[in-house]
Amino acid sequence: MSSAAALRELQRDLENKANDLSKLQKDIAKNHQVRKKYTIQLGENELVLKELDLLNEDANVFKLIGPVLVKQDMAEANANVRKRIEYISAELKRLDRTVQDLEEKQNSKKESIYKLQQKIQGLQAGKAPA
Amino acid sequence: MAQREKGTVTSLASLVSAEEAQKAAKRVEGSIAEHQKELDRIRHFISDNNNLINHIQKLPDELHHDIMVPFGKAAFFPGRLIHTNEFTVLLGEGYYVQRTSKQTVGILQRRGEVLDSQVESLKAMMLDLKAEASFFGSTAAEAAEGLVEIREEYVEEHPTERMSNEADSEKPDTSSSSKVHNVEVASEDEEYARIMSRFNELEKEELETEHVDEDTDFGCSINKHSFEQLKISEGHLLGNSSLKQNSESLGQSQQNSAERSTVEILNVQQVPEDNYLRRESSPQKGTSNSTKPLPQPVKEKAQAANASKSEISDVKATIETGFDSTKAFTGSIVEHAHGLLANAASETTSSQSTGLRTSKPVSRFKMQRGSR
Repeated sequence: MSSAAALRELQRDLENKANDLSKLQKDIAKNHQVRKKYTIQLGENELVLKELDLLNEDANVFKLIGPVLVKQDMAEANANVRKRIEYISAELKRLDRTVQDLEEKQNSKKESIYKLQQKIQGLQAGKAPA
Repeated sequence: MAQREKGTVTSLASLVSAEEAQKAAKRVEGSIAEHQKELDRIRHFISDNNNLINHIQKLPDELHHDIMVPFGKAAFFPGRLIHTNEFTVLLGEGYYVQRTSKQTVGILQRRGEVLDSQVESLKAMMLDLKAEASFFGSTAAEAAEGLVEIREEYVEEHPTERMSNEADSEKPDTSSSSKVHNVEVASEDEEYARIMSRFNELEKEELETEHVDEDTDFGCSINKHSFEQLKISEGHLLGNSSLKQNSESLGQSQQNSAERSTVEILNVQQVPEDNYLRRESSPQKGTSNSTKPLPQPVKEKAQAANASKSEISDVKATIETGFDSTKAFTGSIVEHAHGLLANAASETTSSQSTGLRTSKPVSRFKMQRGSR
């Protein structure tokens, strides 16, 4: 009877761990999406910077703020874009780190789940002949 | 042959199940479809971009254009486009720049280049994926057909202690001799076994002559026979008539020591001629035929081994004996061979014996008995 109780316990444990794992996997997927978005933004910003670099100093640069175009200084726009690129790069690095962490966690979870499954199988095998 | 036993045969289906491979193939196909969609999207962008460039290039041709101006979602009203050489271009991220038509076209062309590079990278990725998919597909098909995988360990024929230049000279020899096998003999394995056994025989006898063992007359005679052939073929190849005469006169003589000395000379000469000897395998056949009528006391021994193919195998034996004796003289000779059995034992220990030879002493003796 005790072995049956232990088995039930193990199964509950396994279920919890499986839930955790699926949560982790969801997080990782979300992270990947965010990362993709940032990568696209980074590409766009780099394009803008390239074009701004090609412009003359006296070119008229506007920034769309809400419904209106606001005239901006060329130097200011340039600095803004550069800052934005820096920010996005930092963000990408941060995301990479978190993804790595999450993947490590996922792997350890997978391993523990595998161990639990083996334990349960062993218990079931021990119970069957007895 | 020992080589045949070394291989392991596993069915491909046991390694990769057909369903798994098919699943993998399907997944790769899916990602290919995704990439194709992306590629189509980018191609659409490119065509849009090109249309825009054409349009913008035409706009400043006129001072003004009569157009319908969109008003809200559903309504238009007639208007007139003036300042046809002034554009406000969206660079991205909410930044706009006032540009002329020419400058705008420049921006758009740069954008087109970026798109082109994206297309190129996508194409490369799709090629990779397609290769992967075809691999999975073929694997699935092979697994379903019940293909088997045969693995065989590569046996290093030549021990490492042998000198490297010798190993180098040996490699083309083995390949070319095997080529000769393929051409001339249908059952290559059988022939190979025969040649190897003869090879070992001759080698053993050579060792015996080193020790001037008078009691093993069988060894001596075979030895002489083979060396005659060796010398004659060499004589032909080198164009050295004196050597030939020497060998013919030696054919009659029973002086082991003298024979040994000539063999040594011959071997020294043979080393640089090795490649030539291999390449000229077809003229050698003629050479071996010409050796037949020469006085050879115990020739029937070799012929008894393989009556029909004696010529061919003789040539090969000559090649290989000559070669091996080269090794024996330039390499290391282990001098503890006296009887036939002792010889066999010594061969296993000697540095010139290869793994193949040591692996089958039984066949060697069988061949000896058969040839007797």
